[in-house]
Amino acid sequence: MISSSTIAEPASGASFEQLALPLLPSLLRHALWLTQNEAEAEDLAQEALSKALRAFDSFTPGTNFKAWIFRILRNTFLTTRTAIAATRTTFLEDSEEIEAATSTSPTPEETVLQLDNAAAVQHALAQLPPHLRDCLLLCDVEELKYKEIAGILDLPIGTVMSRISRARAALRAQLQPHFGGRQ
Amino acid sequence: MNTATEHLQPGQIDAFADRELSPEQARAVQQHLAACHPCSLQLLATIELKQAAAEAGRRLSPSPAMLARLAAQLHQNAPAKPLPDAKPQAKRVLSFARPNFLWPALTAALLLIAISLTTWSVRHTRNTLSAELLDQHLATLSPAATPQVLSTDRHTVKPWFEGKLPFSFNLPEPASLPAGTTLKGADLTYIGDHPAAQLLFTVGKHQVSVFVAQQSSSAAPADSTRSGFTLRSTTAGDLRLIAVGDVDPPQLDRLLSSLVSVQSAH
Repeated sequence: MISSSTIAEPASGASFEQLALPLLPSLLRHALWLTQNEAEAEDLAQEALSKALRAFDSFTPGTNFKAWIFRILRNTFLTTRTAIAATRTTFLEDSEEIEAATSTSPTPEETVLQLDNAAAVQHALAQLPPHLRDCLLLCDVEELKYKEIAGILDLPIGTVMSRISRARAALRAQLQPHFGGRQ
Repeated sequence: MNTATEHLQPGQIDAFADRELSPEQARAVQQHLAACHPCSLQLLATIELKQAAAEAGRRLSPSPAMLARLAAQLHQNAPAKPLPDAKPQAKRVLSFARPNFLWPALTAALLLIAISLTTWSVRHTRNTLSAELLDQHLATLSPAATPQVLSTDRHTVKPWFEGKLPFSFNLPEPASLPAGTTLKGADLTYIGDHPAAQLLFTVGKHQVSVFVAQQSSSAAPADSTRSGFTLRSTTAGDLRLIAVGDVDPPQLDRLLSSLVSVQSAH
């Protein structure tokens, strides 16, 4: 028999289950945003978890497990019918449009918001083009770093930055009626 | 880097708000902000938008049932999975060598995780529901927000919901409402994915919303106070009634009681 000390987990500490369990709400939430459908989101999260479990040997202990499993979720999503349909929708890629987007935005004084209407913000988020929304959600909701987002989305870090800026500019434009709207 | 007369670029402000700048870059931005009011306002707006987006993004949350199913799948498939740097041989030995007395502890630990997850889900759902109801109430406070059915007459408001809701409810006579309380109108709304009635009352100079939903389709929000608004809930038969407003909690309770008392006649 081996002693309990020899069966201790390695320095990284945790098993797949221990690492994945706290992330289930985040994974499902992001899957919901990606698919906009509860059944599809659950299928997507389940498939991503299965793939992640099979590929767990390739995870490097000490690196960000959340970024790793979100990349698997994202790649799994890209093979779904919803994602394939979405890629047929062309969008203006991340060029010099930040300037144009911000020029139509409210003035700084107007943009000091009192955004107490979370439902309006959620609606505005839902209206964003998916490629901008994904970046913003990974940054603001999942609190991932630009570098991690770039890894998840397989994009240059500069593209991530421009997408986040464009997403916020678009949100501001959509939410203009709510600026300073508290009674 | 910008001089004092040159404004920050939107990308710089975003990166600063997202804590993505190096310490040196962040110091330079801070120096500029200290002398530039428009850029400071822009940063404040960005931080507020970032917080609002985070809050709104989290409102789209999975149901406890979805979470439970996924957690069960994880329990079923994951426990035997070795760590990336664990030696397979050691794992095999481990599976035979683990003393039997560890299994109750392991089972208890798994149970604890499952209970924690469920508790977290319930609390999270309740908080999300409270925030959602408060948002819906706030949306009715704008002078531009006209109720879908604008009437003080219960015989107008109640029939308006026929065919719109999968349930029915009663409204009290005006004289049976607490003193100073009048029906103003109502909206058809949704709590989660389920239709509900949002009854709008005036209590003195204050507005109060009472959401009427089926118990089976809505979780019970915790009685709470947020941003000066109080939320109270009760049940009557199959119905759940939730009042939201900036009046004293006893006033909300009296309004709820008057509504509960007429549901028995339903």
